[in-house]
Amino acid sequence: MTDFLQLTAAGLSQGSVYALLAVGLIATYTVRHVVNIAQGDYAMLAGLGSISLVSAGLPLPVAILIALISVTLASVLIERLVIARVKNLTTLVSIILTLGVSTLLQSIMLLVWGAEARRLPAFPGEDLLIGGVSIRSQELWMLGALVVVGGGVLLFYEKTRWGKALRASAEQPVAARIVGISPAVASVIAFAIAGFVGAVAGVVSSPIYLSIWSGGLLLGLKGFVAAVLGGLVSFRAAIVGALLLGVLESYVAGYVASGWKDAVAFFILIIVLIIRPAGLVLRPNAVRV
Amino acid sequence: MTLLQKSPGAVRSKTGFWPNNRATIIGVSILTLVVIILPFTATSTMMNIAVFSMIFALPAIGLSLLMGLAGQVSLGQAAFFAIGAYTHAILLQKFEMPGVVAAVGGVVAAMLAALLVGLPMLRLRGHYLALATLGLGFIVMIAVREWEFTGRTTGIYGFGRPEVFGIPIDNNGLFFWYVAPFVIVGLVLALNLTRSRAGRALSSVNDSELAAESLGVNTYALRVKVFTLSAGLAGLGGVFYAYQVQIVSPQMAEFNVSVELLLMVVLGGLGSVWGAIAGAFIVELLSEGLRDLIPAIIPGATGEVQLIGYGLVLILVILLLPGGLYQAVRTVWAAIRRRTAARRVAAAALVPDGTADAGAGDAPTRAFGGVPGEPAAPHGAAAVDEEGVPNVPGVSTPLAEGEAILEVRGLTKRYGGVVAVDDVSFTVPAGRIMGLIGPNGAGKTTCFNMITGAITPTSGTVTFLGEEVQGRKPHVGAVRGLTRTFQNLQVFSSTDVVGNVYMGRYREGRAGIIRGMLGLQGREQYRNEEIARDLLDTMRLGDVAELAAGDLPFGRQRMMEVCRALASEPALLLLDEPMAGLSGKEREMLASLLRALRDAGLTIVLVEHDVAQVLALADTVAVLDDGVLIAYGEPEAVRNDPAVIVAYLGTDADEAKHELEELEEHA
Repeated sequence: MTDFLQLTAAGLSQGSVYALLAVGLIATYTVRHVVNIAQGDYAMLAGLGSISLVSAGLPLPVAILIALISVTLASVLIERLVIARVKNLTTLVSIILTLGVSTLLQSIMLLVWGAEARRLPAFPGEDLLIGGVSIRSQELWMLGALVVVGGGVLLFYEKTRWGKALRASAEQPVAARIVGISPAVASVIAFAIAGFVGAVAGVVSSPIYLSIWSGGLLLGLKGFVAAVLGGLVSFRAAIVGALLLGVLESYVAGYVASGWKDAVAFFILIIVLIIRPAGLVLRPNAVRV
Repeated sequence: MTLLQKSPGAVRSKTGFWPNNRATIIGVSILTLVVIILPFTATSTMMNIAVFSMIFALPAIGLSLLMGLAGQVSLGQAAFFAIGAYTHAILLQKFEMPGVVAAVGGVVAAMLAALLVGLPMLRLRGHYLALATLGLGFIVMIAVREWEFTGRTTGIYGFGRPEVFGIPIDNNGLFFWYVAPFVIVGLVLALNLTRSRAGRALSSVNDSELAAESLGVNTYALRVKVFTLSAGLAGLGGVFYAYQVQIVSPQMAEFNVSVELLLMVVLGGLGSVWGAIAGAFIVELLSEGLRDLIPAIIPGATGEVQLIGYGLVLILVILLLPGGLYQAVRTVWAAIRRRTAARRVAAAALVPDGTADAGAGDAPTRAFGGVPGEPAAPHGAAAVDEEGVPNVPGVSTPLAEGEAILEVRGLTKRYGGVVAVDDVSFTVPAGRIMGLIGPNGAGKTTCFNMITGAITPTSGTVTFLGEEVQGRKPHVGAVRGLTRTFQNLQVFSSTDVVGNVYMGRYREGRAGIIRGMLGLQGREQYRNEEIARDLLDTMRLGDVAELAAGDLPFGRQRMMEVCRALASEPALLLLDEPMAGLSGKEREMLASLLRALRDAGLTIVLVEHDVAQVLALADTVAVLDDGVLIAYGEPEAVRNDPAVIVAYLGTDADEAKHELEELEEHA
């Protein structure tokens, strides 16, 4: 029983990282209809960047802050230099483009930081022991990051006038423009949010789950699976789905074999799409005829 | 009557319709020659690159077909590559099967894996297949790494190279000759496929899925087949790879291999089979070069350093040269041809061109449809009919006049709380024109779309020729003879006018993917092309047959859509606001065409805004208002139905009647 609870706790904290990535993916998907394959690379970039800054002698909070800002800017830069350059952004083109971006980011990380995984020092705090289940303070930081940052993005999109206009800009560019948001601005904001959220996920998870140049892809894919559970539009469902995914992975690692853990997400994706494909097709592909 | 006269005359040139066969033969011959000579001349490094590019060309061709034809992308092509290699290695090593059996096993295993992923994923549009295949790459890597049977991280090794006719394939030169025939055959098959009935159908799907399905194309089935085929080619590549490196390991399924394959296709030109082969060579060269170059620039760089080049080239090609090398070569080639053509014209200016007016006289006189016993439409008259009314192509109807061809019972569509169509029932008798009218927002188009299968009704049945078709995809009704045109034109813009009408013949064709690849459908295709051309002549569009469909003026595009629908020899033709956007003269022409078609036995249903036109044209009229059928009957009765007048023209019945009469005078 203690094992079970221990695994659940570990799964929830891991799931909160997936949830943050899912939030980032949905943030760009709702505005731009782009599934950003580089989403997970933002996390790795922020993790590796803050590790370097810490080892250069900066205090942890400063290092993290600089990393978050830099990755946010990098995401905006990617939007301006790559995504915004394509006039007719079909699904196929968007996949190839963001895959290209992801590959480029990965290779840059490989060249700058080398092939080994690195670890950011743990954030301050005391580990907890509740009924035999130990919860590391870093895990609380991860869950906290989800509540604050993920919740913040959710509230921004759902409650604020700007957030609603942002969502509207994908469907009703003209209406959004009247409210005062041009599609270009909306796209930049969405990518900034995605970059920031991804970076947060990267720094809070680095002390436990490490940062490595090639780690972003799988992380992003898991975020995508969670986002699919939320129909690629619902932040809430995606967050719940991500936490479930994390817990399930944790059980597989604990009770089956740790090597199979990474396969769970893919099986979930296939099974969900087989059982409830209609529930996941988001926008009825309304071809006007 | 023509707005776009093609000069000189309507010469039937096949070059516009069928890709140039001569160019293919020349290309394949050159490639074969290069393949034969290369091992004698190349250095050993070069030979190594050549062998790997040949191996990778196979999955790249597969990916190119998937992207070009199915409009989908696999980010896990390496997974199928690895599945092929592993299966092959296991069959050789653990079961000691003969090489051929093991190789076939490898290809089949890859195809089965593709079916498993493709069957659920290809039902969905968008990003699903891409990300699912990306996930598959991870799964395969994890599975072979974790499983004792597949040798975990060390993989499987210790199988020899094959022997062919007693000669062991033990050096790169021989191996190159061993792989190359497969690549060349694969290339030819793939080229055949892109031109085949299935290939043309798939590229139409990329232009307008709905229009293609309305002509009987089963999009989903074709996509699944192409995806499976693409995985099979990847599996074959994996089989050769296993032989070449004599070890299979989890790295084969790694993401960077998939990126490499994707880059080959994107660089070569999306959907171009030649491009995939060129891309394979260039990417292998690039990879080799980068692996040397980057550690020289950045000391200590190890691992997959070539990825930086992959990422950059991917982005740059999409941004700057979306059509890849194929597009670049075509642009240059077209410029050269223009220049030489201009020179030739200047030289031949004084010599009369004997072939210019051969077209009209040579026009085949076979009846449209080519069915024995069907009345032949007079073709010669097409060009000299003074009234501007097209001749009527032959039509066939499976029912006697007046029998019910289409029955709609209790058709209902709800969107949330809104009822768009409410319990509508009517019967369409064969050989008549039925008009479906109603004010804006009455539910006409919704009703129409439910009949054709574009949307699924909440409840109710649509029975066409005795079979319920509601809620099925449009191709289900279409293959039985129910086809349609579109209010907002759905033209296949990637092909010319005759290509569009040829697609109308899809229902009449039989050749599938395999016959298409083997090129065994020439007769069927040429016959259908001839029929399409005859029909275009009959409908007075013969002069624009070779033009890109999107370049026609609106009215002629609409006529072309009607023509495309007629080409499928439908039993029931549904027209969605066919008069919208047409000039008065064009409307008259279309109206007389529809009458003539009706007289020839075709059943027609039209949704129309233009009430006067419908009342003048239709034999029966159904009137919808607010989703409810308020009147149904002969035009005369409907015209005087108080409910209709009120619905259409407000509450004042007298004023309404007056306006109606006015409308009628205009008609």
